Amino acid sequence: MNKPYNNKAWLGVLPVLLIVAFSGVVPLMTVVNYSVQDILDFNSRFFVGFQWYSETLQDPRFIDAFLRQLGFSASVLIIEIPLGLMLARGMPRDGLSASLLLVLLAIPLLIPWNVVGTIWQLYARADIGLLGVTLNALGISFNYTADPLHAWLTLLAMDIWHWTSLVALLAFAGLTSVPAPYYQAAELDGASKWQVFRYVELPRLKGVLVIAVLLRLMDSFMIYTEPFVLTGGGPGNATTFLSQHLATMAVGQFDLGPAAAFSVIYFLFILLFCWIFYSSVVREHD
Amino acid sequence: MTSGHARPWLSASRWLLVGYCIYLLLPLYWLASIALQSNADITGEFALLPENPTLANFAEIWRNPVWFSAFVNSLNYVVLNTLISILVAVPAAYVFSRYRFLGDRQLFFWLLTNRMAPPAVFLLPFFQLYSAVGLFDTPLAVALAHCLFTVPLSVWILEGFMSGVPTELDDMARIDGHSFSFFFLRIFVPVNRGAIGVTLFFCFMFSWVELLLARTLTGSEAKPIVVTMTRTVSASGLDWGVLAAAGVLTVIPGIIVVWFVRKHLVKGFALGRVS
Amino acid sequence: MAAIQLEELSFRYPGAEADTLAPLSLSVADGTAFALLGASGAGKTTLLNLLSGLLTPSSGRVLFDADDVSDLAGRQRNVAQVFQFPVLYESMSVAENLAFPLRARKFDPLWIDERVQRIAADLEITQQLPLVASQLSLFQKQLVAIGRALVRPDVSVVLLDEPLTAVEPRMKWRLRQTLRRVQEELGVTMIYVTHDQTEALTFADQVAVMAEGGLLQVGTPEQIYTTPSCEFVGYFIGSPGMNFVDAEQLAPSLSLLAGTQRVGFRPEWAQLQAQDAGQLRGVVKSIQLAGTEYGAATGVVRLQTAAGQIAVRGQLDVTVGQSVGIHLARHLCFSAQGQLLLEDYE
Repeated sequence: MNKPYNNKAWLGVLPVLLIVAFSGVVPLMTVVNYSVQDILDFNSRFFVGFQWYSETLQDPRFIDAFLRQLGFSASVLIIEIPLGLMLARGMPRDGLSASLLLVLLAIPLLIPWNVVGTIWQLYARADIGLLGVTLNALGISFNYTADPLHAWLTLLAMDIWHWTSLVALLAFAGLTSVPAPYYQAAELDGASKWQVFRYVELPRLKGVLVIAVLLRLMDSFMIYTEPFVLTGGGPGNATTFLSQHLATMAVGQFDLGPAAAFSVIYFLFILLFCWIFYSSVVREHD
Repeated sequence: MTSGHARPWLSASRWLLVGYCIYLLLPLYWLASIALQSNADITGEFALLPENPTLANFAEIWRNPVWFSAFVNSLNYVVLNTLISILVAVPAAYVFSRYRFLGDRQLFFWLLTNRMAPPAVFLLPFFQLYSAVGLFDTPLAVALAHCLFTVPLSVWILEGFMSGVPTELDDMARIDGHSFSFFFLRIFVPVNRGAIGVTLFFCFMFSWVELLLARTLTGSEAKPIVVTMTRTVSASGLDWGVLAAAGVLTVIPGIIVVWFVRKHLVKGFALGRVS
Repeated sequence: MAAIQLEELSFRYPGAEADTLAPLSLSVADGTAFALLGASGAGKTTLLNLLSGLLTPSSGRVLFDADDVSDLAGRQRNVAQVFQFPVLYESMSVAENLAFPLRARKFDPLWIDERVQRIAADLEITQQLPLVASQLSLFQKQLVAIGRALVRPDVSVVLLDEPLTAVEPRMKWRLRQTLRRVQEELGVTMIYVTHDQTEALTFADQVAVMAEGGLLQVGTPEQIYTTPSCEFVGYFIGSPGMNFVDAEQLAPSLSLLAGTQRVGFRPEWAQLQAQDAGQLRGVVKSIQLAGTEYGAATGVVRLQTAAGQIAVRGQLDVTVGQSVGIHLARHLCFSAQGQLLLEDYE
């Protein structure tokens, strides 16, 4: 579309700007402000420069949480992206069954995140949970509250249950955008199923897959509620990821300075992802 | 494809799909099963099907003013957030889709970055900000806080849809002599009904499910359901039945919203600029 | 290349009340350029899909060179198709696109390269061979799509579904020319579906006019034009189409066949004369200039007569509002059911 140039358009974006500025910019400024000060109480503050930043980056608890986070996000991506893609390929393109499947897939995305944690608690507990009891009956002494490996596996299973649908729905949207003649032509060419996937579907899916990867990467990096409800970060620190580490610092311990510095580091990291995201999406758009 | 040459129903992908659907449904089934049992049944003998199904847990929630008001509070801020987001995003999306202006690409990018901010980062400043303006512990506070994330997303989705609406529509309305507000309210917005529906879905999808900010910005007055449920767990009485029942009740609005929006769902997800 | 035979072919969608395609029979000789002409909904795309294997017939048979292929899947039929918009593998180069159907069927790689070069030369896209398909213009892409259809030497028939639709308007004629040239050079059996009569009449050796799931007439463009088998064909072909008047409105001086209800004549078969002459009287309503012939303005004159509105093509030496007589130098007789009655008089 050929868009005319008109600066009066700013009137239209003004409301958005105000709301987001109020919700975002102001608080963010506060955080940056705190991150370079030592706040003992309301009236005594000292400017400390980048002290908090260097302390945070060297704090072993931070590094541990960061490494755990990386491991978690990597595992999540490796499983959810291919799985979502395969699910999308298996879905019928239209009809009643397609509608029902779409609704079913969308349900986990609309459950409050703490309820997701609760559902999996009830499901995986060794005493009252369907999964927990079944596994124990099969001879595996399964207990996610005591065993770190079990906790990790349960968390992974929960995240897959929760978010694979997003990848599947995105991939499905991409697949349904392939017009039928492309499949027809491939059929007349004598193309194999793999060739159809590689040459007809995959080029079309590139856009959605990039988005799926970045969304899952970012969101898994920010995950807080579900692991908090399911394991509380435990056993011990086994499942304490970055967000929870930050939440503990910020709310529980009133260490405003370091918490703020951590927040800024956290945000910058996400911003990096965002920049990659934007450049690939905009490149597709233009 | 018709007759004869259709894909066989039982391909590998289909089996995977069936398996995954079972994977999806099992925990949900279990939630419903626990919700329908009394605590004694739950902690007693393990059984696959509820032995004495009862609606007592749901009745407990219905009667209990704490639970009931918690639900209302949650619905409150979700509806508020959705309303504000759409009201604010529609004109912005219109303008992004129809005009170029100074700083438009930068503004769009900046909006997107807000969606990417980790909520945990805003815990503290939000707490202080909303206390300072006297909005602490109100649904409006949560609604506004969520706007940080839902408004950019709404603008993004709406702009994508609106770019597909031809500008001939605008021209025709102008030629017919209609004022801008007439065109916008009576022609343009109705044309974009589907897009607004999808946006509604995504706003709901974020606002209904979020815990951290909802918890931080509310005290006792506006306590939402998500908080009440976490309190129940950490409190001494492990009332699994009531907890599960509350869970079931929070899943249902999601199902309803999805069902109504299902036709536009795929289009909404295709807003990843697929083609 | 193959000769195509359709025997009593019909198709109905599952659960539909009526046939989309009524039982029809058709013969297409090997190496013919064949056009399926009709308005949208006439059933031409359904017929094409029955030929390509996308649909299986509800009754009847499809034969390629006397082999019954009705139950074979598309990939087993050796058919190629060109669609309304260029359907290519966008991420591959042009050369890879052209080679793909051959590679899939395991031809010798050296021979494949030769073949790709030859087809590219025929279509004049040799320069584009190394380029990625997505970088080409719509016209070039459609040429590649045609190339992909022609590249297999054993292909029985090439099906084209309104292939000019997505191409830039000023390139349409060039694509049409290229198609015709390539069809003649390679002797390819081509079946070309279109709703545009100019495309059909200029491209094809044989034209089949379709309406509402049935074949109305099959013949050379000349036959379709000068002896339409029914009113619909007469009216559909030509711009403007054939005029039809009730036989009773004409002067008895015109000799008609027995059973004639309606008389048809093409605009150029009528001449305007003085008011009293001719078999029909009319008043000039509008004049449309088309060009000149020997210095005189020619075009289409529309007249109101007692038998309705008619169009006459010829010299424009009349004025609006003038009463004139219309002389039919040539005409065709049609029955009450709209069928052509043969043996026309000059």
